[in-house]
Amino acid sequence: MLTLLLLAALGWSMWEVDWTGPVVHTGGAAAAGEFFGALFSLDLSPSFLMVVLEASWYTVAYAVAGITLAGSLGLVLGVVASGVLARSRSVRWPVMVGTRALLAVLRSIHELVWAWLFVVAIGLSPMAAILALAIPYGGILGRIYSDILNDVPQEPLQALRASGASEWKVFLYGRLPMALPDMLSYTFYRFECAVRAAAVMSFVGIAGLGYQIQLSLDDLKFDQVWTLLLFLTAIIVLVDLWSSLVRRRLVL
Amino acid sequence: MFLLEGVSKAYPRSVALAPLSIRIDAGEKVAVLGPSGSGKTTLLHLMGGVIQPDRGSITVLGRPLASLGPGRELADLVGVMHQQFDLVPHLAVVHNVLAGNLGRWGMWRSLVSLVVPRERRTALDALDRLGIADKLYERTSTLSGGEQQRVAMARLLVQTPRAILADEPVASLDPARAEDLTKLLAEVAGESGKTLVASLHSVDLARKYFCRAIGLRNGEVQFDAPVGDVTDDTLERLYDIEGLDSLD
Repeated sequence: MLTLLLLAALGWSMWEVDWTGPVVHTGGAAAAGEFFGALFSLDLSPSFLMVVLEASWYTVAYAVAGITLAGSLGLVLGVVASGVLARSRSVRWPVMVGTRALLAVLRSIHELVWAWLFVVAIGLSPMAAILALAIPYGGILGRIYSDILNDVPQEPLQALRASGASEWKVFLYGRLPMALPDMLSYTFYRFECAVRAAAVMSFVGIAGLGYQIQLSLDDLKFDQVWTLLLFLTAIIVLVDLWSSLVRRRLVL
Repeated sequence: MFLLEGVSKAYPRSVALAPLSIRIDAGEKVAVLGPSGSGKTTLLHLMGGVIQPDRGSITVLGRPLASLGPGRELADLVGVMHQQFDLVPHLAVVHNVLAGNLGRWGMWRSLVSLVVPRERRTALDALDRLGIADKLYERTSTLSGGEQQRVAMARLLVQTPRAILADEPVASLDPARAEDLTKLLAEVAGESGKTLVASLHSVDLARKYFCRAIGLRNGEVQFDAPVGDVTDDTLERLYDIEGLDSLD
């Protein structure tokens, strides 16, 4: 049913596209050539590299601060939303439904929208970027954490209960250690997304790689754009390497 | 130690436990024998308070099992062990062993122990008794099946219940290791005067290391006698395929 609906949507969008004109507008080829040609003449002058490094630093710093805050928020909300610590059924359901709804609200608004909102509310400060990242990512991480915490094998938990452990201790000695590798692994993946989001977010005027890309694009300095993009890619690759190193130590 | 009176338990689409009455004295070593699906696990789960009986009563040291509830009181009386060792694979051995203390420890102590193990000596002594003291700080998942079952036993030693219920504790191990561990389990229980009730597949192990055997078939007690009195003839009738309730 859902598949049919999606196919219909696809068909409709194909219908709506105006196929009569050329897909690429005239003169586009020349512009594209110029743009991609700049890939081979990167701007690597020391003065510009300093600018890039500083912008990269901001982007990474925002991403780290944002994901740290998001992780803390997600852990607290995720544990509550998973309902694993609730004592009785009558408490568990309202709390679970309430927290899940809250998580849904947090993550249903895109980080870019949060960025706009915070820039309006508190101005062009690092705090705006960090909060704009932390809130939706906290919502996503909280949701995932609660699912992972619920999906751990039950038998070891039963054994802990049999040795007299309360639900809190079962959580500490069983649930959390078993869920941790998956939780960390997903958090790292989200960290990668956070680096990209932090870069994009600076298009709204917060310092960072996105802001520099915008400045260079406005000046039509494509060589600089490519340098900035390469740095962004390099950061993502480094994060990826780091995450696989950590995962190898943690995952069985 | 255990007194079961008219206990029955029925599951939808599965073998029911007929009303049965069993008395097990403190310090006894009882092997529960019987073909697959005869109700061995159900019986042990009932005695461990994991499930509640439909009818009848179970008392442990004169106290109704149902009144004990989960938590420390029950953990001081009865400890359970399974075929799947039910350890937390990601934790170091020492934490899995010390988890036997969780019924006694407060929240704060439990938390601190995950960083700096408390009562390390207790854990080390238990592992030493079971011959794997060198594994104290290894990650549990890196241990072999036999070693993991020893860790589960060490956890029980730390928990120090009055009785140990073991549900096919050696079923997933090869014969040599199975014998080794059964012997160890019987010895450890004997040293501290614990009651031991274990379901087993191997009649030989039951004869060698236990004093009493209970034969279950289709959820009924077929025999209940000192192991010396159990004849091959009796066993043949216990495991006879013919007349078994089908499971599906």
